[in-house]
Amino acid sequence: MSYSFTLSRPLQDYARTLREWSTTECRPYARQADEQKGRPENWREILDTAPIPLGRADKPELGQVPTFEDGDWITKLAFYEAINYGDVWVHPTLGGGIGDLVVKALGTPKQVAEWYDPIQQRGGATAFALTEPGFGSDTSMVATTAVRDNDSWVVNGSKMYCTGGAFAEYVVVFATVDKELGARGINAFVVPRGTPGFNVVKENEDKLGIRSWTTSLLEFDDCAIPLENRLGWDVDHPENSVGNGYGGALGALAFNRPNMAALAIGLAQASIDVVTPILKGQQAGFTPQRWSAVERDLEAMNATLERGRRINYLAQVTVDRGRPSRSLAAAAKGFAPETAERVIRRCIELLGPEGVSKELLLEKWYRDSKIMDIFEGSGQVQRIIVGRTLVGGLAG
Amino acid sequence: MIDLEPDEEQVEIAALARSIADELVAPSARDAEYAAAVPDDVWLKVFETGLVMPVAEEHGGGGVPGPLALLAIAENLGHGDPGIASAALWHAHAALLVGAHGTAEQRSALTRLATDPGARSAVALYEGFGRGPAELATSVAVEGDQVRVRGRKVGVPFAASADPLVVVGTDPATGAVRAVVLPHGTAGVTVVANPGSLALDATQLGAVDLDVTVPVSALLGGPDADPAGLLATVQRLRLLTASTAVGTALRAVEYAGQYATGRIAFGRPIASYQGVSFPLAEAMMRIEAARAELVDVTNAVVADPGGDHGTAVGQAVSYALAVAVQATRDGVQTLGGHGFIKDHPVELWYRSAATLSALDFDPLRDPFQARL
Repeated sequence: MSYSFTLSRPLQDYARTLREWSTTECRPYARQADEQKGRPENWREILDTAPIPLGRADKPELGQVPTFEDGDWITKLAFYEAINYGDVWVHPTLGGGIGDLVVKALGTPKQVAEWYDPIQQRGGATAFALTEPGFGSDTSMVATTAVRDNDSWVVNGSKMYCTGGAFAEYVVVFATVDKELGARGINAFVVPRGTPGFNVVKENEDKLGIRSWTTSLLEFDDCAIPLENRLGWDVDHPENSVGNGYGGALGALAFNRPNMAALAIGLAQASIDVVTPILKGQQAGFTPQRWSAVERDLEAMNATLERGRRINYLAQVTVDRGRPSRSLAAAAKGFAPETAERVIRRCIELLGPEGVSKELLLEKWYRDSKIMDIFEGSGQVQRIIVGRTLVGGLAG
Repeated sequence: MIDLEPDEEQVEIAALARSIADELVAPSARDAEYAAAVPDDVWLKVFETGLVMPVAEEHGGGGVPGPLALLAIAENLGHGDPGIASAALWHAHAALLVGAHGTAEQRSALTRLATDPGARSAVALYEGFGRGPAELATSVAVEGDQVRVRGRKVGVPFAASADPLVVVGTDPATGAVRAVVLPHGTAGVTVVANPGSLALDATQLGAVDLDVTVPVSALLGGPDADPAGLLATVQRLRLLTASTAVGTALRAVEYAGQYATGRIAFGRPIASYQGVSFPLAEAMMRIEAARAELVDVTNAVVADPGGDHGTAVGQAVSYALAVAVQATRDGVQTLGGHGFIKDHPVELWYRSAATLSALDFDPLRDPFQARL
């Protein structure tokens, strides 16, 4: 069918199975993961119960997420929503982070062979360090420096909100080789764990939500790495260099944005689906008018999540077709996360004080959801990007 | 005649509350949360100011501030920290109800609350389901010389320890609002264990199941209590809690505004972007509107305690809490990633406003808007 938002039957089946598994096998560990600020110790055994391939980095032999005719990026949307429907702790345990993907996007063939291919073959954790204490949205403000000293690049600076940074086998660190060059001076460097001067200042931040995600504060103090660790740069044959990668890094981030919107939709849909039967059980406590209002709210919330999904599809179809739209990706990221926050809050309000109790996961998901309108570009930044399609650089 | 000048008492009390909030309450916010209790020294100092124990001098208190002064206390303490403010104020609510409507014997018991900083009392008011006080399903039935209380209360402060616990319900015979004063340990009061909440841990919120039979002397104000007057005071308690949230909203906006003037992105302070400054400006506009509404409705309730203020109070409470929820949300959003970590207090305000909003929510007043 042309111009249809309906997923193929096989993808629907895969997503439903994933969602049910995530709910029954993973959600019971949600509170524990939040309180212990980490994945459950038996996460491997929990993942082993999955009836479908998840694309685990630690056990690639169990298979990748299948290919569906809907397209790889549409598949990711269904995947992220379904897996996050159980709880937020699950999906970071599958992959080893996104550092290797940056290598793939920015590296020379030799670098890809050294740092990307092995991760794909044997699994492993990698990380991506761009944000610093002094900036978030404005990535041209990278203050971390990489200075050449004979056969080394010497990295100095701080990086925060680095997911998996404390345990990754290497971190792809964005640093400037020449501040005078502005954004053009920003390069990506592979910094292996254990390199002298690579310090984990704080393994995990004390956060409002997504506490099970390891969000590290890193410091690079005269951290010397080999020349060939500068991505996209061929030390022996500069003519083979593929560029500094700054734009590439942001491009890679842009296409991941709808995936983050899908995470938010997963949490919001889970919240609606948790409160709906509870509310129905309590229907007798409501006046008929109030019960009508409750039903109307549930209906409106379900409808608005569907809107979020459709924008996500619009955005990611463009990626699957090879003509990615940064504007649609931004629209998707600008829409669902903020909407999801409001949906989860309303679910809490409809239940009353029971909704804020730790007996249920709603209060946790309300905390978890807040980051989704902040990371990978805040709602404000997304609106600037969308605005620029209308009015160009004047948007700001 | 319109007169928007606060009187001397209101000005002085607001200033005192703000200074206590700045110097004492705000710095202790995290400690209170981690301990799930207001630290003893903080409680003692707040208690000694007399701001949060509205008890007449004849019962050992420092006097009962006027209705608008009480609103100002709630807002200004909420500006310091909603958790500590709510703990102190909700303890005060019991004294307020008993002082205004209790029998002589009930009022004489206020001396303990006024003089013992270790005392914790509470009003069990909320039930969820969007119910206003006139619709409470908890029944307070007079049966001869006894009164039977049955129902379930949620969002009860100091649920496990309140002494007394003042339970508000309705008389099934008349439909009128009634309340009973229950000493701690009264048989038939079952506290539902609560593993903790999104925020306001210092208030030790919980649910209470009630099936209690006590002598009729436990009825607040006795069998002949004036239900209209009692209802009016209960409505004011709701407005006071909404005022606390307004104070928190203001603090969040001020904090975010200050952050935005110092944080640089794309070559200038982020406050210079309308995408950042306008949400904060919207919040400021709405905070003004919400505070004015709380004052206006409080005045109306006080001027005519027998009138039907359910709609006006419902509107004012619903609006103020919605404003607080959005303002505190925008506070986190303004700080971005920094707002998401506990190095800054905005995340605590975000959680607290949502918790307050869940206490007193009516789906009829605030339909979910698919506004994005």
